[in-house]
Amino acid sequence: MNHPALPENFAFLAPFVATWGDLHTQDERYRRRQELPQGELEAFHAALAPRLEEVFTHLDQFDPQALPEAEALLFRVVLGLTEASQAVEIFGQPRVPYAPFPHSVAMEWVGYQPH
Amino acid sequence: MANLSEHMTKARDMGLDNGRVPVEYYTSADYFRREQDMIFRRAWLMVGRVDEVPEPGDYIVRDLPTLKASVVIARGKDGKVRAFHNACSHRGVALVCQERGNAMTFRCPYHAWVYRIDGSLSAIPAEQDFPHVDKATSGLAPIHLDSWAGFIFLNFAQEPEATLPQFLAGLDQMLEGAPFEQFPFCIRVTDEIDCNWKNLVNAFNEGYHVAILHSKTLRPAVVPKENPHLHYLDVKHFGPHSAGTVQRNFDYNPQAPALTWVYAQMLPTSAPDIAAIEEGRAGFYEHPGINRLKIPNFGTETITIFPNISIQPLANGYLFYQFWPINEGRMRTEVRIYSRHAPRTLREEYAMASTLAATRDVVVEDMAMSRLQQIGFESGGKTHQQFGQNEPLLRMFTRDYEAYLQGKGMGQP
Repeated sequence: MNHPALPENFAFLAPFVATWGDLHTQDERYRRRQELPQGELEAFHAALAPRLEEVFTHLDQFDPQALPEAEALLFRVVLGLTEASQAVEIFGQPRVPYAPFPHSVAMEWVGYQPH
Repeated sequence: MANLSEHMTKARDMGLDNGRVPVEYYTSADYFRREQDMIFRRAWLMVGRVDEVPEPGDYIVRDLPTLKASVVIARGKDGKVRAFHNACSHRGVALVCQERGNAMTFRCPYHAWVYRIDGSLSAIPAEQDFPHVDKATSGLAPIHLDSWAGFIFLNFAQEPEATLPQFLAGLDQMLEGAPFEQFPFCIRVTDEIDCNWKNLVNAFNEGYHVAILHSKTLRPAVVPKENPHLHYLDVKHFGPHSAGTVQRNFDYNPQAPALTWVYAQMLPTSAPDIAAIEEGRAGFYEHPGINRLKIPNFGTETITIFPNISIQPLANGYLFYQFWPINEGRMRTEVRIYSRHAPRTLREEYAMASTLAATRDVVVEDMAMSRLQQIGFESGGKTHQQFGQNEPLLRMFTRDYEAYLQGKGMGQP
């Protein structure tokens, strides 16, 4: 799939765009996390987690409801870390132990459209 | 807190000696049918909040898998909230097809019979062909509705055996004025899994499993050194409903970069807001019915409303869990994470998504274990499961469950 370029300064996330950049819901991110090898989740976490503040300092400049394409892509990639960090920082494995696989969960933000 | 163990309520303190409970309650289709008739068609059932329909004409549709009920909840022009079965009086179509909206009328998509927002039938096309239909008595079938603390309860009996306050049996008084309305924003998490619904009810009624099953998720944050099996404290009971106090570790300080960043943006719903607590503005923590012991490391009051609800008020919001049987071996869990407001920034959206993932994973742990439990039950090698002295609320739930199945249990005056 063709993607717009990431914003300047965030090219370090380019290797993760194909994995996380096309996902639009939390459940899609949850399922992606379950199917990835732990090593890939760790590489993503290692690249991004220490630089979250830098990412959001950049995103702070934009209207959250009208992100330019490059920033919208950046934010989608970054939201992948909400799932990857559970695997890396909490479980030490991609899946919740003993849970069915693949496992899907419906999650609805009532009255708000998340990215 | 002179001696914590004095407040660890044991089953014997509550006169509950039913330590062995038949597995059949969890595996039998016959028991499920009795639960439908004797529990879910008699008890008041929570289905939402009045602030989901704030304006006249606002409606929501809820499906209750246990009773196969499709329910429309609507606020009328008169401001009153009503509930109806979602079924056209003509030939039964579930006519309201959007999950929520605002309307002054509902029009059946099959033959265009039209109903007002108060459920009354307003128009029948070619009405001359239905001379036998009395419009005045052919509205949508009403369901008894009442509310407490902003929560909408329905009762599917022809005539409820008890009013909602009688049913709540004092739990409502203990929580009088609790500030649920301060936390209007919610994320709903819904999942279905192959297990009996009572497996989940039980999981939320004891802390014994927290240090084991949730060793990587909850344990570091909530299991204190002085209470390693997370025994619930100061268990209170109100008819079949209950509340127990749970501690947490205020010094929990995750050394993990993503989680640390999240905590700095917006505290998770479950994390104590120490500044707010010190300033006396920490939501539920200030309520006199909550943390009666005044434990300094208070985490939550886990409140169970019979038959299928658990509510956990926290400093930054509350968690609401509901467990619906679909049949004896399958159930639906609905979790709602309530907080003060929707995300206002991308930082807050990230933080709330992270909290959502963390909260969901804990529930997934409970559901995964409940599924394994069901596999074990259905294997047939055991006729009973065991409830310990440290699981008093499981024994209490079973006692009241049995009473309901026998036609008793409602809190008549």
